[in-house]
Amino acid sequence: MSYKCSRCKRDVTLDEYGGVRCPYCGHRVLLKERSTDIKEVDVR
Amino acid sequence: MMVPVRCFTCGNVVGEHWEEFKARTREGDEDPEEVLDELGVDRYCCRRMLVSHKDLVDIVSPYQ
Amino acid sequence: MDEDYEVEFVERGDRKALFLVRGVTPAFANGIRRTMIADVPTLAIDEVRVIENSSVMFDEQIALRLGLVPLTTPPAEFDEDDVVTLSIDVAGPATAYSGDLVSADDMVQPADQNVPIIELKDGQRLELEADAVLETGKAHAKHQGGVSVGYRHLQRVEVVGDADEFEESEPNIVRGVVEIDGELVDTAEFDNDLTQKFPGKEVAVHDVEKAFVFHVETDGSMTVEELVNRATDSIESRALELEDAVSL
Repeated sequence: MSYKCSRCKRDVTLDEYGGVRCPYCGHRVLLKERSTDIKEVDVR
Repeated sequence: MMVPVRCFTCGNVVGEHWEEFKARTREGDEDPEEVLDELGVDRYCCRRMLVSHKDLVDIVSPYQ
Repeated sequence: MDEDYEVEFVERGDRKALFLVRGVTPAFANGIRRTMIADVPTLAIDEVRVIENSSVMFDEQIALRLGLVPLTTPPAEFDEDDVVTLSIDVAGPATAYSGDLVSADDMVQPADQNVPIIELKDGQRLELEADAVLETGKAHAKHQGGVSVGYRHLQRVEVVGDADEFEESEPNIVRGVVEIDGELVDTAEFDNDLTQKFPGKEVAVHDVEKAFVFHVETDGSMTVEELVNRATDSIESRALELEDAVSL
């Protein structure tokens, strides 16, 4: 899972010990990055 | 947000004329009525699509 | 049809035409109208595979916009379950237009090149692949080739005498194309008002039996001529089908 810190905009990888927190700036708001999978959309 | 591609009522493609309409009426100072006549957007259903539209991409883009 | 019918064009363009048809019943005229709207198949984007979309609009919104872009549909080239793949790849700062769609088939191109799909800011990108399929207007309005297709009864205008000298003059409004002295005249020429065309005269307006003025516009996926031909072909093939089914 890759996230992006909403304050310093750096990529963050979460592990099971660190909790939800940016290791670079300590900010607690992380944004999940969009998957690189191809998304199929039906046009309706 | 972006111009509708087609007129909601009749299905005519109006998105095609948006950029010219915008350049001439919003950024220029021509009369919208004359511009729409010249562009061949005849029906009032299609005319309101362009007259009442506002681009919102610039307004929402700062919020990613 | 027990009598011959004749067709006369009032205005004839690729995307818009006005024509008079004589000798058809109201039922048949309406049949053609309905077929042009709902039964002539056109190509339109029906499935989208989004590879990257970092624009301000959702994938679904962009897919809907792409679906509404008319694609040129050459007659008798495609079958109901054919698929044509198109792709688009635009990086910001720029606007992605319908003209940026790259088609796998040269015959299938966006009919209009300047429809803005999405405005992309610095660093934003739109990359996707789309499948266009052949469907009828019945299935979805994006497959509707005819736009604002309709007809009016042809009206004949005759001068029957002079108007009363002291009568209040009221506008006498007619619309579309009317027949005056055997000539077809667009009512817009005299502001749709017969009192301007014949001041001080009393006129009578009658419907002409079995004559209809069709107004046909297309979204660009085919010409008006192709649309009308394909609509009548569709009626014919279904009539033959019915005939086959009924005869033992």
